[in-house]
Amino acid sequence: MIDFLIGLYLASIVSLFFTATLARAFRWYGLNAITLGLIALTVGLVQQDTALLISGALTLVMKGVIIPAVLIRTARTFGLKPYLKPVLPLQHNMWLIPAILVGSWLLTEPLQAELGTHGHAVAISIATVLLSLTYMTQHRHVGAKIVGFLMLENGLFLLGTAATEGMPMLVELGVLFDLMLAVIIINLLLRPEVRP
Amino acid sequence: MTLLWLFLPAALMFTASFFHRAIWARRLLPVSNLLVFVGVVQLFVHHKPFALWDGLLVADPLNTWLLLISSVVGVAVTLALTTLPRRVRILQQEIDRFYRFFALFWAGLILAMLANHMGLFWIGLELATLSTVYMIRTRDSVTTRRAAWNYMIVGTVAISLVFFGIILIYASAKPVLGDDAMHFDLLAHAVETIPSPLLFELGFAITLFGLLIKMGFVPTLLWLPNIERAAHYPVAALFAGILETAVMLGFFRFSDLALAVNATHTQWLVGVLALTTLTAVAALMWRAKDLMRLFALSGIEHMALVAFFWVTGGKFAALLHLTAHTFMKPALFLATGVMEQQGAYRLQGALAGFTTPSGRLFVVITGALMLGLIALPPSPMFFSELIGLSALFQGLLPLSATMLAMALLLPLSAVFYRFVQVWQLMRHDNPSTDIPKRVETPELAATLLLAASTALLLTPSVWRYLESLT
Repeated sequence: MIDFLIGLYLASIVSLFFTATLARAFRWYGLNAITLGLIALTVGLVQQDTALLISGALTLVMKGVIIPAVLIRTARTFGLKPYLKPVLPLQHNMWLIPAILVGSWLLTEPLQAELGTHGHAVAISIATVLLSLTYMTQHRHVGAKIVGFLMLENGLFLLGTAATEGMPMLVELGVLFDLMLAVIIINLLLRPEVRP
Repeated sequence: MTLLWLFLPAALMFTASFFHRAIWARRLLPVSNLLVFVGVVQLFVHHKPFALWDGLLVADPLNTWLLLISSVVGVAVTLALTTLPRRVRILQQEIDRFYRFFALFWAGLILAMLANHMGLFWIGLELATLSTVYMIRTRDSVTTRRAAWNYMIVGTVAISLVFFGIILIYASAKPVLGDDAMHFDLLAHAVETIPSPLLFELGFAITLFGLLIKMGFVPTLLWLPNIERAAHYPVAALFAGILETAVMLGFFRFSDLALAVNATHTQWLVGVLALTTLTAVAALMWRAKDLMRLFALSGIEHMALVAFFWVTGGKFAALLHLTAHTFMKPALFLATGVMEQQGAYRLQGALAGFTTPSGRLFVVITGALMLGLIALPPSPMFFSELIGLSALFQGLLPLSATMLAMALLLPLSAVFYRFVQVWQLMRHDNPSTDIPKRVETPELAATLLLAASTALLLTPSVWRYLESLT
């Protein structure tokens, strides 16, 4: 089940690279977060870990639904350009994405035995970080950079869930709080100052 | 009670910032910022290590000291903020918002500095990073808006890398310590028994890259000077005097753990990054054409030296250097607000044209700080560099130490020459305006406070205290 969800998680990141509109990019992020929340809920159910179940549910609601909705609305309100045009021609992603995935796998291979049952998720987490950074560098559009940053944060959550079987609850809540603050600041940065 | 003293000023500042029409709120904003200093000072009366919040926060001699010097910078920045509307175009509403995010910045910073828990350290640092984004944005220009976005993206990427590394470190120590594997003190005791040193080292390397990106090390050298150049000058002072100190404290904590796991790997990794940064920064300083960029690059140079000294055995030198940097660099950044000419931070004649007695005093202090920055004796920087280099010879074979010392001294000599050249340009070239330059009393007081704090670093009692921290 977890492998299937991780597959979906990865598919949503790859799809992001081939998305031409900002609203759809935010939706792919939301879908990515939903699969992430489901991964956390599944691991939490298997391990009977209440903290992981709570953080999974919070991820599902906050990152999967609320944050994408707020960002789509913000982008419309402040008139961000609705189309995304990457600096790098799209066809290069056909070799770049597999190269990052294979590279991440090779990098973490010596560690996978030490990380237990979900060791391969570490490779996917590192790949998420690298793919997010690649996505951010491919676009000049500020909205795309926001999506890249949020995806990167999802990679961290996956690492926390899979490699350590859940971080302490305090840390999970703190990370979520900081993410909310980041969304508020993005909102403030987009808001034009009215000077007399 | 101690926690209340520490966080109450930030809470007061945050609340008062919403009542910008009320006179009491406008008066309370700077007062509450000064109260942070009082809260930090009372930490000193406790026996160390002093645990707060069930041991999640711990006041030890090192973090208490760094928090104290940061709060002194906070006082100086408060003084400079009182004259900011007379120097730049800024709305009262923007000043209030500046204070609102300053309050969040303090809350995050106190949390990060006192954290005995890697996760809390990260949360505090992220909070402090995010809150500074809006402080940059208080200057209204296209360049600043772009700089704020750049900072938001680079800052959050850096901090995400730190968190990524923390998770790997936590995963490596969890088999030994369980859920307590995030506590710095417990980890320090158990670090040698970690079953997977490779996982720990990978985690440390990623955390290190995140922390170093935040301090503007190679390969992301230019983002910090660009942002400090684009923001209002008190923001640059906050970055140099407070945020960098908190990041450096994190570096101290993590590198101590990594040194216990594998000292050679840690020294090589940090040493190579620090020396490369130092060389690249020295080259960039030759091309710097304005004061702000010059001081920002010099800040990166100092951070590289502190990191280098810390891992090569010169911990006292690193602390002395960091403390001197914490006082001197914000003083110079605040001085740029006074030296600024017709909206530009031109080097030529920046220190000329001050005719009043307070202006002349300002020139003497600023000139002394600038020359002190390049380790001209009796600056604390001179002693820290000397002691740091001696520590290098104590810990390494003579040939390796000599080669490393040469690699350090070469870029430092270039920086020294450039600063003397710039100082002459600032002092003896003609200013771009004939209008006599003026210094406001709070600005002079802020510069004096930081200069006096720097001078205090030369006293034997401060040296003894710093030695006891290592």
